[in-house]
Amino acid sequence: MPRNDTLFHWLMLAPALAILGVMLYWPMLGTVIESFHDSSFIRPQPRFVGFEVYERVFGGRDFPHIVRNSVVWTVAVVLLQNLLGLLAALLLNRGLPGQGMLRAIVLLPWVLPGVVAAIVWRFMYDPQLGLINSLLLRVGVLEQTAAWLADSSTAMAAAIFAAVWKGFPFSALIYLAALQSVEREQIEAATIDGAGPVRRLVDVTLPAIRGVIVVNIVLTTILTFNYFDMIWVLTRGGPQSATHIFPTKIYEVGFGQFRFGEAATYGVVSILVLAVLVAFYLLATRSTAARRRTA
Amino acid sequence: MRPSVPERAALAGLQLLLAAFVLLPFFWMVSVSLKPATEPFAIPARLWPEAPTLDNYVTAFRPEFRTYFVNSVIVSGATVAITVTLGLLAAYSFTRARLVLITALMSLVVLAQMFPHAAIIIPIYRMMRGAGLLNTYAALIIAYVSVTLPVAIWLLRGFLGKMPVALEEAATIDGAGRLRVFFEIVVPLARPGIIATAVYVLIVTWQEFLFALSFTATREMRTLPVGLNDFVGQYGIRYGELMASSVMVSVPVIAVFFLLQRYFVAGLTAGAVKG
Repeated sequence: MPRNDTLFHWLMLAPALAILGVMLYWPMLGTVIESFHDSSFIRPQPRFVGFEVYERVFGGRDFPHIVRNSVVWTVAVVLLQNLLGLLAALLLNRGLPGQGMLRAIVLLPWVLPGVVAAIVWRFMYDPQLGLINSLLLRVGVLEQTAAWLADSSTAMAAAIFAAVWKGFPFSALIYLAALQSVEREQIEAATIDGAGPVRRLVDVTLPAIRGVIVVNIVLTTILTFNYFDMIWVLTRGGPQSATHIFPTKIYEVGFGQFRFGEAATYGVVSILVLAVLVAFYLLATRSTAARRRTA
Repeated sequence: MRPSVPERAALAGLQLLLAAFVLLPFFWMVSVSLKPATEPFAIPARLWPEAPTLDNYVTAFRPEFRTYFVNSVIVSGATVAITVTLGLLAAYSFTRARLVLITALMSLVVLAQMFPHAAIIIPIYRMMRGAGLLNTYAALIIAYVSVTLPVAIWLLRGFLGKMPVALEEAATIDGAGRLRVFFEIVVPLARPGIIATAVYVLIVTWQEFLFALSFTATREMRTLPVGLNDFVGQYGIRYGELMASSVMVSVPVIAVFFLLQRYFVAGLTAGAVKG
């Protein structure tokens, strides 16, 4: 390649690479450095304290809650969102009348701004005025109104349900695209062999899109673990930290209490969790790509 | 093979169920936004107001709301323009250059898509404060460009990678310079990909909440999502206005999405499924 070609390409790449380096990779390192420093609202100047902040965070009352909540939140949202997304995609792939319109409608929650979705759901869950209580009272499931978000035994489930509503359309979109690439002949061959709809799904369709399912599950796990808007607007992590997850805790400690060192320590823990997830993601995409090459 | 009649009825029923699940919150948002402030909330709630009115929209379109709206338009517009431009430049070289490091660099871009914003926000906040940019449009635009750039590069790379290089080679042989080839051949051909990427970046920045919440301090600089979240505290019990504001925040992105969803859905799924 001629010299000036090399220069041209480096110039094309330079602005983007510079931004990613300074604004994403450097702050990642900055968070690690910050976590070894202590600072507070009264003493804003960070001072190096080694692992002291880590000891405080790990020994704190909230830490086990945050870990447990993050696991429950992430696992539940990811499983439900992918299951529902897959079912919706299977339904939308049947070529039924009205499908085009329905496909566009199904994507609406994903396009709806996160804060709006959270506010609407907050209102849906309202003990007195909310639609959910209203419907449940009407059909007789409830005998008196329930305060879904104010009760620490139901708040997490309520937040998960709202997040699944917001997130499943994206999974459905990806699964629908994958289903459309499954060979018709394979399905027809299975039908001729006498396979019923369930058999065809389990033996032909699901194995054919297995790679997409794995990648999508890892990807939604990463996105869900990082998702701040829904829980912050619904509950701010409450009641009594019952819905606090890593992102909401980091914001509260960092910008609510200006304890940057502590917030950064929560940040480092979540970076480590994500590093493991990302490793899974890379393995998943690599094996999918490899399978495609050999196919 | 045509499905039997009971099977078709069951499928139609499932479709209706899916549509109802998706639309119920939208229906509720619009219903409450049209409810006159004077009509009391019935318990259990009434599904549709007795005398629908647009009054809530008129009240909700107050000066603060207009400020937030203008701020959101400025920040999102600038982010879309900058991200798509820089992303296109980078994506072009990611598909065309034969540099030794190209695969490694692309891995860094893919990796950067997954960074947790909450975990890196404090060093970014310190940088912005050091540069005197807190509570300015610049702080938000810089942050938004940074977090949307990796996905934009990845989406655009998918498009540019599928474009034939024959035209570019022919133009080069005819004596066209590098930049001319890029602007007169590559950019026009990549239009569907550019539109899909722009829509994606718009959807993401229009709703961004965490950075806007942390980097803006005064009402003059708030964007719509943060402003809306403030309304919950301020006008908490005036649900009609709150829902009317929510509708007004959502309509622009939903409109853009429906106008351009053709490009968008094709672009996103092509990138996502084919990796």
